[in-house]
Amino acid sequence: MALTGRLGLLAALTAIVLIFVPSWWALLAVEGVLLALVIIDLALAGNVRSLRLHRAGDTNVRLGETAKVSLTLENLGRRRVRASVRDAWPPSAAAAPRSVDLAIPAGERRRLDMTLTPTRRGDRVAATVTVRSMGPLGLAARQLSRPAPWTVRVLPAFPSRRHLPAKLARLRELTGQHVALIRGQGTEFDSLREYVDGDDVRSIDWRATARRADVVVRTWRPERDRRIYLVLDTGRTAAGRVGDIPRLDCSMDAALLLGALASRAGDRVDLLAYDRRVRARVEGTSRTDLLTAMVQAMAPLEPELIESDAAGMVSTLMARVRQRCLIVLLTELNTAAIEEGLLPLLPQLTSRHLLMIAAVSDPRVSEMATSRGDLAAVYDAAAAERARAERQRLTAELRKYGVEVVDAAPDDIAPALADAYLALKAAGRL
Amino acid sequence: MTSVQPPQTTEPSGPTEPSEGTTAAQVVRRRWRSARYVVLTVLALLILVVILAALRPTVQPQYLDPESPGQSGTRALAQILGDRGVGVEVTRNASAAVSRMAGNTDATLVVVRSERLTEDDLEILSRARGDVLLVEPRQRVLDRLAPGVRLAARIPGQHAAPGCELTAATMAGEIDFNLSYTYLAPASAVRCYPTEALPRLVRLPVEGHTVTVLGSGLPLTNEHLAEDGNAALGMNLAGERSSVVWLIPDLPPAGGDQEKSLGELIPAGVKLAILQLVVALALVALWRSRRLGPVVVEPLPVVVRSAETVEGRARLYRAQHARDRAADALRAGARERLVPLLGLPRSSAQDPAFAQEVVAALAARAPWDATAIGLALYGPAPADDAELVRLTDFLDDLERQVRQS
Repeated sequence: MALTGRLGLLAALTAIVLIFVPSWWALLAVEGVLLALVIIDLALAGNVRSLRLHRAGDTNVRLGETAKVSLTLENLGRRRVRASVRDAWPPSAAAAPRSVDLAIPAGERRRLDMTLTPTRRGDRVAATVTVRSMGPLGLAARQLSRPAPWTVRVLPAFPSRRHLPAKLARLRELTGQHVALIRGQGTEFDSLREYVDGDDVRSIDWRATARRADVVVRTWRPERDRRIYLVLDTGRTAAGRVGDIPRLDCSMDAALLLGALASRAGDRVDLLAYDRRVRARVEGTSRTDLLTAMVQAMAPLEPELIESDAAGMVSTLMARVRQRCLIVLLTELNTAAIEEGLLPLLPQLTSRHLLMIAAVSDPRVSEMATSRGDLAAVYDAAAAERARAERQRLTAELRKYGVEVVDAAPDDIAPALADAYLALKAAGRL
Repeated sequence: MTSVQPPQTTEPSGPTEPSEGTTAAQVVRRRWRSARYVVLTVLALLILVVILAALRPTVQPQYLDPESPGQSGTRALAQILGDRGVGVEVTRNASAAVSRMAGNTDATLVVVRSERLTEDDLEILSRARGDVLLVEPRQRVLDRLAPGVRLAARIPGQHAAPGCELTAATMAGEIDFNLSYTYLAPASAVRCYPTEALPRLVRLPVEGHTVTVLGSGLPLTNEHLAEDGNAALGMNLAGERSSVVWLIPDLPPAGGDQEKSLGELIPAGVKLAILQLVVALALVALWRSRRLGPVVVEPLPVVVRSAETVEGRARLYRAQHARDRAADALRAGARERLVPLLGLPRSSAQDPAFAQEVVAALAARAPWDATAIGLALYGPAPADDAELVRLTDFLDDLERQVRQS
């Protein structure tokens, strides 16, 4: 039940009656009339329970884009329902409009279109639908909240997909499919074809040339069907914000670009999100479904405020991956976390696999390192230099173990990681 | 950005309106919009003040006071009466007037400004013996002192003829009463100066003495006494006996009437109306407090800036004046960047054994001598903050020189 402002106004106006009829009975009578009006209004208001709610619309939306979800109210009752309807969503879903006034005649249905512009990645679950059905006098209303379940999954924005065409072009150069007279680089034998001017004479296959009248060259291509294991660290270091977005979101962006590129390059890509347990896993998906599967797996991930368990992660990986593969660990170069967690376990990993660590550096630190002027700025610069030196030392130490390290600012991490992958592929190190 | 922002409400300003005023008209419009409520409130207050001032009672304090020589006083009448041997005693208090009357059997009690009399005063006066002249009495006074007479109307002045057998009236003749009350009187009373059968002057016997009711005091004032038969009327009405007790009551002391609380003074209807307004307020509160559905809760992600540890360390350095550590970090950073430019192995940057070599290479490419460069890159910790800032600047200069050379 809900009251309206009109009832309050009416009650205030009846005060005038009491000035002219100053008696307690008059007061009682006025209240009685008001109560009776409210009861009549409630009795005549459309039945909320006889409404049936239907939902339709988007179930997925990229972060930053707008989803449309519609709510249809079907009136199965005998009376017309005149109501304010609020479709409640969590605040970060940024649902609009807040509430809508509808009149639904008996037996008809009305649609309410909601637009959601989520401000945050993850699953947004519709909370409730509240219907406030007004009585004919507009003095009181029946109100009821009912569930109308719907979930909109907010996927990572993947802003670095604009780098994908450039990286794919590079990949085509490598595989020799590029429209240029350069020999496909790589180490795997691809095919034989006739010599054309400009081909590298070193790639002439003399045996095949001897069998035929023409000069025949061998073409090469990079290895295919290699395995790439992307590992997202979702521990406490992933929660830190670089610029205005969490480090985890930067890592996801880089992982998505690398996944898209590697799957086009013919490699098998798997994904694992881990802190102290497996948060998400994508394995053995086909090339075409990979990106969708990765995005769906990443959407609900949130950084956990706990120290990541490097030993657990390594053992999980070792148990799942038998053949040699490229493990791309997206984490933060945090001295304490790496030295105590990962470093002692590195020989285990690097003996069988190729490990690449991608870390997002904070542009704020670079900015602090160049700050000058007063004493506070100089101390800022000193602290930033110290942090940078530690990072460099750690990078050097990791490289000693044969680990590839990609350390870049949030805007550059995705293309830098893709470049590192392409370099490995070109060098045939996968 | 993944943090949740509360829903923002924007000012309902027109979409075409720029945020900064560009024309004078726009500025004026914006100022008016922001100040209109203040202006309207002040204007309403001014109007209220003017209305209240207009409604202020215009009766002057000395009106009908026999001791006042002012235009609205009645000193002239009192002096004429005195000259004619009718003593005028002025009292400003009902009980004093009654005791004077008790001591003097042949006296007329003139009661003016009777609206100032309290219920208690009227009670006392009703016990007074002797003739009474009431000037401009209201219904409350009439009920106690002239039973049967009712206030009828207040009509503007016109010359009125006596129209009765009363000696005082017939002798005075036509009188201009100005603004005057008229009365409804019982048949037993003598009714004079009527307009549309409503008399302005009424005389009736009450408990063995006569009570005269005069609807206007203006003919008795100093200003008007000389006009028409005003003086005759006044003298004949007041001077019928050998003396006059003129009661012009003072304003009753505030709250002195009866100890009434504010609650008793408020009419019952208003009290009930206020009660009803409270009910209305409660209903409005219920209306506003009823939410359209529950509050939707949502776990929010933590907001930790990644650079917080670095900033924290900078503040610790500063708080502890850790010039040595700060200088070490800055020097190490500078060496790290300088050494590759000099073509030396990267490992030599942090190795003190290479100090000589690094300094010598730098001295060859920068306009400073080896001692200064050595002191900057490998020297002792700065003695004070200013020196630390200078060291930083020197390292920057050094780096720039080497890069440009």
